[in-house]
Amino acid sequence: MAEDKGSILELIKKVLFTDFVKGLTVTLGYNVSRSITHKYPDEEKWVPYRRFRGVHTLNRTEDGRELCVACELCSKACPTQCITVIPMEDDTGRGIADRVAKVWKVDLVRCLYCGYCEDACPTRAVRLSREYELACTDLSCTVRQREELLKPVQVPESFEGGVVAKSEFLRSKRGIKVKVDLSSTRKRSL
Amino acid sequence: MPDTSTIIEFILIIVKAGAIAMVLFGLPLPLTWLERKIAGHIQVRLGPYRVGPHGLLQPFADMIKLLMKEDIIPYKADKLLFVIAPLLAMVPAFAVFAAIPFGEKVTIPGLDYELTLYLSDMNVGILYILAMSGLGIYGIILGGWASNSKYSLLGGLRSSAQMISYEIAVSFAVIGVVMLANSLSLLDIVRAQGGNILHWNILYLPVGPVWFFIFIIGSTAEINRIPFDLPEDEGTLAAGFHTEYSGMKFAFFMLAEYIAMVTVSVLAVILFFGGWNAPFYIPLPIPPIFWFVAKVAFFIYLFMWVRFTLPRYRYDQLMNIGWKILLPLSLVNVLVTGLMRLYL
Repeated sequence: MAEDKGSILELIKKVLFTDFVKGLTVTLGYNVSRSITHKYPDEEKWVPYRRFRGVHTLNRTEDGRELCVACELCSKACPTQCITVIPMEDDTGRGIADRVAKVWKVDLVRCLYCGYCEDACPTRAVRLSREYELACTDLSCTVRQREELLKPVQVPESFEGGVVAKSEFLRSKRGIKVKVDLSSTRKRSL
Repeated sequence: MPDTSTIIEFILIIVKAGAIAMVLFGLPLPLTWLERKIAGHIQVRLGPYRVGPHGLLQPFADMIKLLMKEDIIPYKADKLLFVIAPLLAMVPAFAVFAAIPFGEKVTIPGLDYELTLYLSDMNVGILYILAMSGLGIYGIILGGWASNSKYSLLGGLRSSAQMISYEIAVSFAVIGVVMLANSLSLLDIVRAQGGNILHWNILYLPVGPVWFFIFIIGSTAEINRIPFDLPEDEGTLAAGFHTEYSGMKFAFFMLAEYIAMVTVSVLAVILFFGGWNAPFYIPLPIPPIFWFVAKVAFFIYLFMWVRFTLPRYRYDQLMNIGWKILLPLSLVNVLVTGLMRLYL
């Protein structure tokens, strides 16, 4: 029989269960390693990187005036025509110019979160925030109005992101909400 | 009128049997939790986590669910066999423990009474265990047959074929141990391995480890665990022999399966790892039952660990391993062991 050295070695390996032991070592390593599961939503929550494109937000200046000048460039740039802007004249100092938005609404079920609107915006008024919890039980929450979008977002743009933050799961009559605590975060384990 | 000591003896046996049955009924609860936890962590998940701290109450939730579930008997099933099959699977699994020793005599402090940590010291204990665990297969075959479903039937048939192929190898492995201990009694087998780790059967070189591997591979096949879980191969047979079962009947099958795993772990410890003997002399008063439980726990973990490491064997590979490798190997091993016993 022409048995070369390689096949004898293979036989010895088989008898000593080397491949089997190798497999067991790998799984044992995983068994003792840290799990990558996030205990979302009641213990921790993933805060995405800055580049993340979530729900739109309308920004204000530091003294509280709306940055939006209702130029309608965002709705023109929008590939799905999900943004509706109706301008009006206002000289009470609500906005940074005399032209402000009477209506600024976005249809979130049509939006594809491409970010063209924030690119088109000349005043950096519209930005895509890092909010991604959009589920709801009826169609009422699919269209976001200007008043809602003007509220400050949970994760400010200055926050670096890419971390897992402590969170709190809030349940109320109006719905559910996940509140993040940005002061205590940890890196994602991988 | 029997004297007092006989009555005490009698009551003690009932109490011990009851205690063992309670432990065995309770054991699958932590074991399912452990299995799912180990599965989770090996797959870098968390496993059950929400019900109770670290999911500890998950088995109770499962139990309640199984109790509440509708107990379906398929329209064309053989009603009687369908109902008794889970019991046929479960009862032998419990009956095995009548012959399994958990330790030598212990003296109860205060009462000054000697308590034996086994139900009965049968002089043919190991034969009884092999016979009883072999009976468990009837539950699976009949369950598969009575369901009147192709998947169940195939699962049952597979398990019978698997049992026939691997029971032989396991019996040979046990014969090897019996040759080393010169007794069929499990107590004597453990006593023969007394002393330190070097007296354990696994270290009876060169045949000990071979016997052990034959035993553990054959037993894994007999208790239908991965990599030999062809009777419930979910890839091809839906759920195998218990496809049509639901509710508590399904739970009985699972119970039998977990207890079979415990039985095999216990047997592996008794036959090859010195039972309740300490591996080396430790100048501390550690009770022998500690070593026993620790070793059994290791084997239970090993079974779960292997389950989430290896893929399932193909059916022809299973047969090849059983008939072409394990059987000739155990025959040769019987010869070598016999020669070693005669001339060493």
